Amino acid sequence: MSEPLLRFKNASLGYARRAVLTGVDFQVDEGAFIGILGHNGAGKSTLLKTLLGLIPTIKGEFHCRGSHFGRPRYGYVPQKEKLDAIYPLTSYEVAAMGTYRGLELMRRLRGLGHRDLIRRSLKECGALELSDKRYSDLSGGQRQRVLIARALAAEPQLLVLDEPLAGIDVTTQTALLKLFEHLKMQKALTILMVSHRIQRERDLFTRVAWVGDGKVESGPADEMLSEGKLMKIFESEL
Amino acid sequence: MTDLLKIISPSFLLHHALYGSIVVGFVVPLVGVYFLLRRLVFWGVALPEVSAAGISAAFMLQGLGFTFMAGGESGERHLAILGSIIFTGGAIILLTYMEQKGGVPEGRVGTLYALAAALAILFMAFNPGGEAELLGLLKGEIVTISEGDFHAMLNIFIAITIAMFLFQREFTLVSYDRDMAVTLGRSVLVWDGLLYLIVGLTISLGVMTVGPMVIFAFLVIPPMAALPWARGMASFSLIASFCGGSSAFLGFYISYTHDLPLGPVIVCVAACVLILSSALRWLMPRKAR
Repeated sequence: MSEPLLRFKNASLGYARRAVLTGVDFQVDEGAFIGILGHNGAGKSTLLKTLLGLIPTIKGEFHCRGSHFGRPRYGYVPQKEKLDAIYPLTSYEVAAMGTYRGLELMRRLRGLGHRDLIRRSLKECGALELSDKRYSDLSGGQRQRVLIARALAAEPQLLVLDEPLAGIDVTTQTALLKLFEHLKMQKALTILMVSHRIQRERDLFTRVAWVGDGKVESGPADEMLSEGKLMKIFESEL
Repeated sequence: MTDLLKIISPSFLLHHALYGSIVVGFVVPLVGVYFLLRRLVFWGVALPEVSAAGISAAFMLQGLGFTFMAGGESGERHLAILGSIIFTGGAIILLTYMEQKGGVPEGRVGTLYALAAALAILFMAFNPGGEAELLGLLKGEIVTISEGDFHAMLNIFIAITIAMFLFQREFTLVSYDRDMAVTLGRSVLVWDGLLYLIVGLTISLGVMTVGPMVIFAFLVIPPMAALPWARGMASFSLIASFCGGSSAFLGFYISYTHDLPLGPVIVCVAACVLILSSALRWLMPRKAR
């Protein structure tokens, strides 16, 4: 079995030396589809920000491996509300941001971009026809597709989705779940999805990490989503 | 028509003022688009005033007998630019640092504006001899600038324009989605730093050219006029730049032909462009927007 892409060992995570999560033992294996679940304010965002490298670990070990300076190539899909709608960006420009990994000055001066990759990513997410539209004019589901295309344009080893189904109608949710399934099966991507609920996405998860009470508890999806486990988690929440 | 031909002629006496205003009109909105998008419009009010205080401080030093760089008008101008850059750069560093602390950012920017406006007047009191010249500089009267200084200023504005377009994707990325920038391995600190350096330089030189009021107007009004029509960052920057440049040219023409003060006329013309843009947008059928 290959080494995991990311691994926390007895780590404390938080902000400005104030730990939100302690004793975190958690790993992301290649090819896994991991659900990070928990209520609002449980610490899911803290875990996410730490593994993306946005904030440092306070204590303990955090190992990662990958092709981008020893880190995995991330494809990050933030919550769509986090992006300011004042920007007059086209959907194509938003998706193109996934390719902004390097300066590529000479390539840029010669007028060469990553057009094929960006168009392919948009097409894969069913958003190619939205290319010329202003991103801020799109519906919630359309925005989510463009953001996933942006993450795919980064040619990721690890796709990180932050509440991708929140605030989206049921039909679009179904389409997005199909897209995630396609990415998991056809592209063998490692996917990490944050959610504060367990509904239709539960069938996709191979592993689940419950975040709550300052701890992270992870295991195989069947075990972590079993009736007994859910009862235990929700009893402790009550 | 005769007046128009006269002012575009190379032998026109006020050609420095004309070209300076137009160049500033084209370049400052390129920086202003980020003020608008990052919701830092209040910075646009405060920083030109801080820059003016820097110019005033440079004149105060001369009044107190500090002679470094102060040999003739050109030397005075260089010292004024240095004062402007130091004050603007310092204010940007201070505001950026304070922004990370949270609290009430608008209150801090407002305080900075009031303080800068007061200091600009107070510093002036230490050099009564240079008061007229200082007032001219603060109003953006660049009639007396040497040919060499004028071309140096133009070269800097050209460099700023190239940088704004060349690094547009980096500036957009770190402004729009900082977390994404970090996950892609880009340094937010470096690109923010470069953007703020360009902002400081543009404002400092701009204030010396057309004065603080016009710079504030160019930072905010042309981007506001351009925003509803933009499809992408390049078109946003280009439309804003065109609005600024054409407002400056038209403003200069009206000011010259009707013998009106240049700065206020330019600001009024820019405001008319904004009103026209908003009216056209409002009149457009909803589907075509």
